[in-house]
Amino acid sequence: MALDKLVSEKRKRQCAKLIEISKDIVRQAFDKFKLEELGITWTGGKDSGLTLWIIRQVCQEKGIPLPKTMIIGEGDEFEEIEQFVERIKKEWNVPLEVCRNEDVLKAANDMLNAPVKVKDLNERNRTELKRIGFDGDEFPFEAESYVGNHLMKTVVFNQFLERNRIKGIFQGLRWDEHPARFDDPYFEYKEEGHLMPEHTRIRPILHFTEKDLWDTYAAFKIPYCPLYERGYRSLGAKTTSLISVEGVPAWDQDLENTEERAGRRQDKEKAMERMRQLGYM
Amino acid sequence: MAEVTSPGCKRGIPGNVEMPLAVERLPNGNTLIADAGDEAGFGSEIVEVDPVGNIVWNYNDGLQFAHSGRRLKNGNTLITDTTNNRLIEVTPDKKIVINSDEWGSGTGKLSDGSHLHYPNEAFELEDRTFLVTDRNNDRCIQLDRKGKVIWAFEKELQHPHNANALPSGNILIADSDGNRILEINRKKEVIWSYGDGSIETLWWPRSGIRLENGNTLVTDSKNHRIIEVSPHGKPVWTFQTEHVDKFYITQATKEGTFLIACTGHHQVIEVDRAGNIVWLFRNFRRPAPIFARLTNGFFKELGNDGNPLHWVLARRLSEGGGKVVWENNHKPSSCPGLEFDRPGTLFLQQDIAVKPGSTYRIGGDIKTIDVKGTACLMVDFFDSYGASLYRDITLMPSGEFFTGTNDWVHDIFEVRVPPRATYAELRVSINNSGKVFVRNIMMNLI
Repeated sequence: MALDKLVSEKRKRQCAKLIEISKDIVRQAFDKFKLEELGITWTGGKDSGLTLWIIRQVCQEKGIPLPKTMIIGEGDEFEEIEQFVERIKKEWNVPLEVCRNEDVLKAANDMLNAPVKVKDLNERNRTELKRIGFDGDEFPFEAESYVGNHLMKTVVFNQFLERNRIKGIFQGLRWDEHPARFDDPYFEYKEEGHLMPEHTRIRPILHFTEKDLWDTYAAFKIPYCPLYERGYRSLGAKTTSLISVEGVPAWDQDLENTEERAGRRQDKEKAMERMRQLGYM
Repeated sequence: MAEVTSPGCKRGIPGNVEMPLAVERLPNGNTLIADAGDEAGFGSEIVEVDPVGNIVWNYNDGLQFAHSGRRLKNGNTLITDTTNNRLIEVTPDKKIVINSDEWGSGTGKLSDGSHLHYPNEAFELEDRTFLVTDRNNDRCIQLDRKGKVIWAFEKELQHPHNANALPSGNILIADSDGNRILEINRKKEVIWSYGDGSIETLWWPRSGIRLENGNTLVTDSKNHRIIEVSPHGKPVWTFQTEHVDKFYITQATKEGTFLIACTGHHQVIEVDRAGNIVWLFRNFRRPAPIFARLTNGFFKELGNDGNPLHWVLARRLSEGGGKVVWENNHKPSSCPGLEFDRPGTLFLQQDIAVKPGSTYRIGGDIKTIDVKGTACLMVDFFDSYGASLYRDITLMPSGEFFTGTNDWVHDIFEVRVPPRATYAELRVSINNSGKVFVRNIMMNLI
C-alpha cells in the first residue's frame, strides 16, 4: 500500500517548518565547508533518504551539485534497497561511491556467516581488530555483529573520509530513534584519533520524530524504498531486519507507543515493566 | 595486561560503610548505621559511630544485606538480616539472644506457617513485641519474641520497606512499589495516605515518619529527596540533592535535624531545615577497581574464584541466589554465564573509566536459556562519589532484552557518556530465573 495518505494543510506547514530547520543546518554546513570537503552517508533507508532529499533542495537553491555520497556495501543487502538506490542515483544525479571492506569480503568468500580468520586479513583490518579489543582468532562474516559492524561499517566510513579528505559528513540520525541519540548535537566535531581522521558530523534531521518523517514523505511526495510498505520500520542488513507488523506499512503502525527498532526478540517495554516490578535499583 | 585507572580495596573490611540503609541517633549522641555491604555481597554490618566518626561498636557476623539495626531499651540491637530472611537480637558483646531461624522448632517459621521473606525493617514496640516490615511477603506484622504473629497488615501492599508505630498506636507504612505512604489503625483501616501512585509525587518511598508538628516526613528515594507533608497532603518542605542519590531511611533528631542514609554517595548526612549538611559520616572506599578499558571481555582469563578474571559477580541484589556457570563445550574456548533461580537481580560486571560526552559502542554475543525475567547487557554510569546517575534501572542504557530461550545472537548498542560520569559499569544482567551466557564482549570509543 503506497504512502498516499492525505496530510492536512496545517500538518504540511508544520512539516515544512521542520524541513526549514534542517535546511538551515545544511546551509550552515555549506558555509563552513567547501563542497568538496562535504560528504553524505546514505543507506537507502528512510532517515538518510530524507536527509539526502533535504540536502538536494539546498543544492538546487544554490545551483551546485550534491556532495560526494557514500553507501556501505555489507554483502547482505536487500534487492529492493539496491534497486531503489540505483533509481534515485540516476534521477537525482547522486555522485555515489559504494564502499566495501573488500579484504573482509574476500576472506569470507562473500559467504554470509562464513568464518573469517583474523590471520587472512590485511594489516589495517588486523590493527582495527586490536583497536576494538577483539581477541579471537575468527569471527563470522555478518555486518550486525560487533566485529562485522566495525570492519564493514566504521572502518569503511573512516576510509571514505580519509580517501576523499572529507571534513564534514552528513548523517540521517534522529533523536527519537534510540536513547543513545537523545542529546546528539547537530554539529559534532570529532578530533583526529587512532585510524580516524578529524571531521565534523552533521545531522540535519535530528528533530524529526518517526511520525514527522512519514508525514513529510507523504506531504512532499518524497520517494522511499517499498520495503516500508510491507511493514519494515527500520532497515539494516537483510538477514537481521524483521518486519515489525506484517502487511502494515511503517507509517500506519503505532509509531508513538512501539519501538522503531523492535521487530526482533521481544517488546522492550514489557521487559522494562518486569524490571520495574523488581523495585530494586 | 590489565591497566587499572583506580585500584579497589579489600572487600568486607569491618567498619567500611559501603551502603548505609538505616540510621538512627542514639541517646548517647552516637549514630547507629545499618550497612548493607558492597555489590558483591561482602561487608554488611551494623556500626555505631561517635560524633567525630570513630567506630565504637560493630556487628557483622554472618549478615547478608542487613537493612536495619535498631538499638533496644535493654541495650541490645535488633537487626533485620535481609538476605538471610531472619531477625536477630544481639547483645553489646555480640551474643545472639533472639534468632528467628530458631522459631518454629528450628524451621524459622512463624506461628502462621509463613517464613520471613526479605525483611527490611523491625522495631521494638512498647510491649516488647516487634513490628516487622516483611518486604517480599508484602506485609507488615507484629510478632512476639517467639515468632507468634499477633497482628498483620497484608492488604494492598507492594514491597513495603518500613513500618513504624505512632504514639497513637497507628502505623505508618512506606508502600514502596505502590509509591505511597499509608497510615493505618489497628483495625487495619487506612486513615491517611500520601502519594497518588505517580512517580512525580513519590517514587519508591522507603520510609515515612510522623514529626512532632503533626506533619509527615517521607523519604522519596528515587526522587532523591525528603519531603515534609502536612496532614492535608500539602508538601511544605523539601530537601533534595542535585545529584541522584537514593535515600533510604530518614530519622528526625531531638535537635530538629534529619539524619539520612544516602546509598548513592555512600554516606550518612545530617541536614537542618535550611538545607545545610551539619554532620556527615563517610569512610567508603570502592572495592571494585576501575579499568582503563574493558579488560578480559573474551573471558580467556580465570580468577582464583573460578569466575572470569577482572569481572565482579554482583550478588547484592540477588536475594541469596545466583552463580557463574561455564559452557565448557563452547569452541574455541569456554564462555561464562549466569545462573539464577529466584526474583531479584544478578550481575556480572566491570568498572571502566570514561570521559563525559564521548560515545561508546558496546556489544557482544548473548544466549539465554529459560529466562523468566530479562537478561541483557547494560551499562550504568557513576559520579565521582560512586553514585549511579540513573534514578531507576530501566533508565540505564542497554542492549536488547531477552526472555525465554534464545540461541547466540549479536547485540550492539551505543551510549553517550553523560555529564559528571567518571566511570561506567558494564553489566551482564539477569533478573528472575534462568541462564544467560555471553562471549566476545567489547566496548570501544567511537
